[in-house]
Parts: sequence; C-alpha cells; structure tokens
Amino acid sequence: MMLLMILFSACHEIEEWANDPRGNFDALWTIIDEHYCFFAEKNVDWDEVYVRYSCKVSDKMTGEELFAVCSDMLNELRDGHTNLAAPFDVSYYRAWWSDYPQNFDRRLIRQYYFNFNYLTAAGMDYGILPENVGYMYYGSFSSTIGEGNLDYILSYFSTCDGLIVDVRDNGGGDMTNVGTLVSRFIGQRTLAGYISHKTGPGHDDFSEPYAYYYDPAPQGRVMWGKPVVVLTNRSTFSAANNFVSVMKQLPGVTIVGATTGGGSGMPYSSELPCGWSVRMSACSVLDASGNTTEQGIDPTEGCAVDMDPLSAVDGRDTMLDFAVNILTR
Amino acid sequence: MTRCVMKSTDSSICSDVIAKTVFCGIVCITCFLSAHAADGDTDTEAVVRPVTAAYTVEAGTSHLADTYLTPLKYSGWSMGLGYERMQAMRFDPERWVMQLKLRVEIDRTENPVRNAVMWYGGVDFSWGMMYRWRNILPNLTIGAGGAARMDLGCLYNARNGNNPASARAAVTVGMTGYVAWQTRLWRIPVTLRYQPALPVVGAFFSPDYGELYYEIYLGNRSGLAHCAWWGSYFAMENLVTADMHFGATSVRIGYRNNTQSARVNNITSRHITHCAVIGVAGEWISLARGRGIPSRTRIVTALY
Repeated sequence: MMLLMILFSACHEIEEWANDPRGNFDALWTIIDEHYCFFAEKNVDWDEVYVRYSCKVSDKMTGEELFAVCSDMLNELRDGHTNLAAPFDVSYYRAWWSDYPQNFDRRLIRQYYFNFNYLTAAGMDYGILPENVGYMYYGSFSSTIGEGNLDYILSYFSTCDGLIVDVRDNGGGDMTNVGTLVSRFIGQRTLAGYISHKTGPGHDDFSEPYAYYYDPAPQGRVMWGKPVVVLTNRSTFSAANNFVSVMKQLPGVTIVGATTGGGSGMPYSSELPCGWSVRMSACSVLDASGNTTEQGIDPTEGCAVDMDPLSAVDGRDTMLDFAVNILTR
Repeated sequence: MTRCVMKSTDSSICSDVIAKTVFCGIVCITCFLSAHAADGDTDTEAVVRPVTAAYTVEAGTSHLADTYLTPLKYSGWSMGLGYERMQAMRFDPERWVMQLKLRVEIDRTENPVRNAVMWYGGVDFSWGMMYRWRNILPNLTIGAGGAARMDLGCLYNARNGNNPASARAAVTVGMTGYVAWQTRLWRIPVTLRYQPALPVVGAFFSPDYGELYYEIYLGNRSGLAHCAWWGSYFAMENLVTADMHFGATSVRIGYRNNTQSARVNNITSRHITHCAVIGVAGEWISLARGRGIPSRTRIVTALY
C-alpha cells in the first residue's frame, strides 16, 4: 500500500482535457497559447480570441461544426504553418498567398523557354537558356538534393554567364537541403541566421537566439562563383523563405520577383483529445541580421517584378526575362 | 671506572640476551603462524561462488506520456528481453552480493482514440552491490545496497512533423534491495523474491521546452543535461520472481513494474509498464581448466 502511494504521488501531473467539444477547444487554445511563437510579431491577443470563440462552442455541436470554429480561431494567427487536421479536413490559412498574384506558370517555362527539352535531377528541372544563362527550378525543399546531383548540374552550367535559381511556388521542406544548396554558393563559413525556441509556456519565454552557420561544400565539389539570381513569388515559403534569406546576403546574388510568403517559424506538432492533430509555428528562425522573416522577404531593391498576364499569354515570363536581363546586361 | 666498565659490559650482555630472545620469539611465532597457516590451507573449505544467471522474456502493458510530443497519454503493449546475473562477492561472499541487469524493451502504444501510434525502444543497464543478511528468519534472506543505472531510449510519434522523437537518457545511482524466501511448492523447491530499485540521484537528458532537435543538430547543445532527483526524475522498478528449481536449472516466472516520471523545462514524461516475466535461471560455477571442485567446498549462493 505504501509502495503504491509512493508510486502514484511521485508521478508528475499532466494536464488533461475531456474529449468533448469544450475539452477539445480548450486543449487547442492551450496548446497554441503555450507553444506558438509569433503572438507579438502578429499582434494577436490570444486571450481575447478565446473569449470571442469560446462562446461558439457547445456540447451539442458536431465534429464538423467544432472543426469550423477551431479553424476560424487558428486563422486569427494568419500563419501558413498553423493547421488543424481532422479525418475529414485540414484547416489552412490561405490568405498569405491567395491574396497575391501567383506570378508563376511552370508549364509556360517548360514549353516556351525549353520546348520541353529540359533535364531533371533531384527534383530540379534545369537547362541553359538561349542567352547562355543557366536555369534551375527547385519546387520543393522536400526533394533531397544529392551532392552528386549538384556537381553534375553546376558542371553542366560551367560555360554559362550566370545562373537563375527559381524557387517560386516552393513551399519549403527539409532545412538540411537549404544548407546543401547554399554550400555551393559560399566560399567560407557563413552566418546563416539565428534560431530561438520557447523556453516555457509564457508568450515571452524565448531562448537567446542561437547563431547557426553554413559551411562551403567539401573540397572537390563543384562550386558556383558567377552571378546568381534567385526568383521568388509569394508562394516561396518556409524552408524556401529561409533559403532566400541566406542567399540575399551573399555577394553576387540578386533576389528578383515578389516578396516571399514568410513562414519562418519552424512547426511543432501536437494533438487534441479527439485525435485531431495540430501544427503551429514554435521556433522562430531569424535572418543573419537577427530580423524575423515571418512576413516575407522583399526582393533586392529595384528588382520587384510581377508576371505580366498578357505577356504570359504570349509565352513570356516577365519575371524570368527580368532575371535574364540582370545576368546579361 | 672499572665498575663502570663492568656495568657497561653487563648491560651489553643483557641487551644481547634480550635481542636474541626477541629474535627467537619472532622466529617461533612466525614458524607457528606459518605452520598454522599451512594447516589451514589443507583444512579450510574452499569458497565457491556460483553465478545465478537468468534470461527472461517479458510482455505486458505500457503507458507512455511525453508532453514534448503530445499532451495525451498513450497505452499499449510492452515487450522486453532481460538478463540478470548475481554472484556473491569475492571479498566477503557471505555478506556481499553483486547484481548486473540488462534489459531491452520495445513498446507500441496508441492514443486514447486510437488514431496515432507512439513507439518506445530502449535499453537499460544496472550494476549494484548489496549487503545481505542470510537466514534472518528460517529460509529468509534480505539484502540492501546501491546500484548504478543507465537508461537509453527513444520515443517516436510518427504523426509529428518536426518533433517526431524524444530521446531518453539517464545515468543514476540509487537504492536497491531484496527479500528472498526459499520454500516448496508441490514438492518443488522454489525461491520467491521481491526486489525494488529506486534511483536517487543522477543526470538525465531533456531538450528545452520548445527546442527542436534540429537546433541541437545545428550545434546548440547547452542545457541538455539536468540533475536527476526525486523532484525532477523519479523512477522505480519492482520485480517479483519465483524460481522453480529443477536440478541446476530453474524456471523463472514473475512480474515487473517499471515506473518513470520526469519533469523539467515544463516537459513532463511518464513511462509505466506492467509485465509478466518468464525465463530460465540457473546457478553455474566456473572452473579453471584441469581443476575440479575442491574436496572441501563451501558453496555461497547469490540470492539466498
């Protein structure tokens, strides 16, 4: 008996919620309250949000109705990294990109610039444009980049005058692929940025930003030292956003296109008593100057350009043409 | 003057006599002790300390929680393989016994609504020494001592994106003890044992509250080790076994409960297992090549 008392008294408490609409709503609100990292940047009063949405929850509501209330509450964060996933739907704040022109048509480039004669490796389409400019399109940082792939691609571009790295519509992926790609454009150890995590459930509980660096690719690998243009649009997000923030500080690199979508908070996952999973920004990744890029990264001064829809009808990508002009002028 | 010389001579003679006497005495005592010791070599029992070793398979229930991964408590099954070795210690075999334990465990658990799976895989190792009181009551032996323990493991929750895993690592020292009772069950000799183990102090690993392992991978390794004490890290093992002896080999059945609860950096983790234990145990004696068991032997078993 005494042993049982020791056992049960020694276990540390874990907060629990009932598996009903109220319990699930409170669990979601609390998980976000304790882990989300951008309340201050986005000027969100989360307590006020609770008051506003809590009254919409009733014990008689269906799962779909509860999901709708919870989704609307999460949308208050205006964060593309914050989702609620149920068996029947995944909530997703879309306005971060849907309110902006898409500025990208992959088929247009494949058809009118390469006549479908492009190469593909490691999730990248690549080829040489008539102006003797190398072009690579990387659509997702989830596609693992092999060192051998990069060696081949950069060797293929060795006679080109410049290189366009197109990360439009790149929604992110694995941050290690960012380092792999960046390592071909730097000659020395380079400050890539800072990362700061929550140290407790309070809204201001953050660690000191930790500086992290990228190293050049190992000796013997093919490096790129000629001018580079990185093409971006609003759907350049998350790890791709991070790639742009690192590339923007490098000499000889120009960011062309539209402001990126942001998404600089590394997502953290949790779940509700009903089994729905929730994802939210939990670790803030800052650029090399220590600034947040959650709202997106602007193009290099004088290089903001949208895709002209009329020119697109004629098979021209005005953003790509702008980039080619920069590299050939 | 002469007198003085005479005195001096007498004194010298006396000193020589004393020295010779002392020398003879030392020689005699040494010879006596040597002879006695030689007699002892032939008459004293040789102490043989058999190794009590057990190989076990365990199966039962597991309850996992780790707020770094999820606020929900997961439940499921646990399976493990165990090895235990006990032996009376050379320097005082009647009173001191050592114990080595090694266990490998894998758990599969589900959340309350059973739409997510969390796995645990781990290994634990401990080495301890216990002082024992043999036959404190008829056929009853108790022991108490300390043990150093190392736990390594990992929780994996596949539904999580950037925080799918939570590593477990702890090095602790603590208390342990046992009660062993020899009895018979349907004419079969049985040794019943209860052994708790309670880590007291040590160190354990934990990331910070919202720290992703990616940040650790980037090189930020500060603040990962924490002092383990009952307020931050509580663990207890309760082991009950019954060894049914069939000659030199025994069948071991039993029950093991492991409870581990930790709280640091506002992260709470809990791991509780209840497992049935079954295996084989035996007492084995290591003999040097070409040398059998001496004719006069005293066997000092490890457990009782």
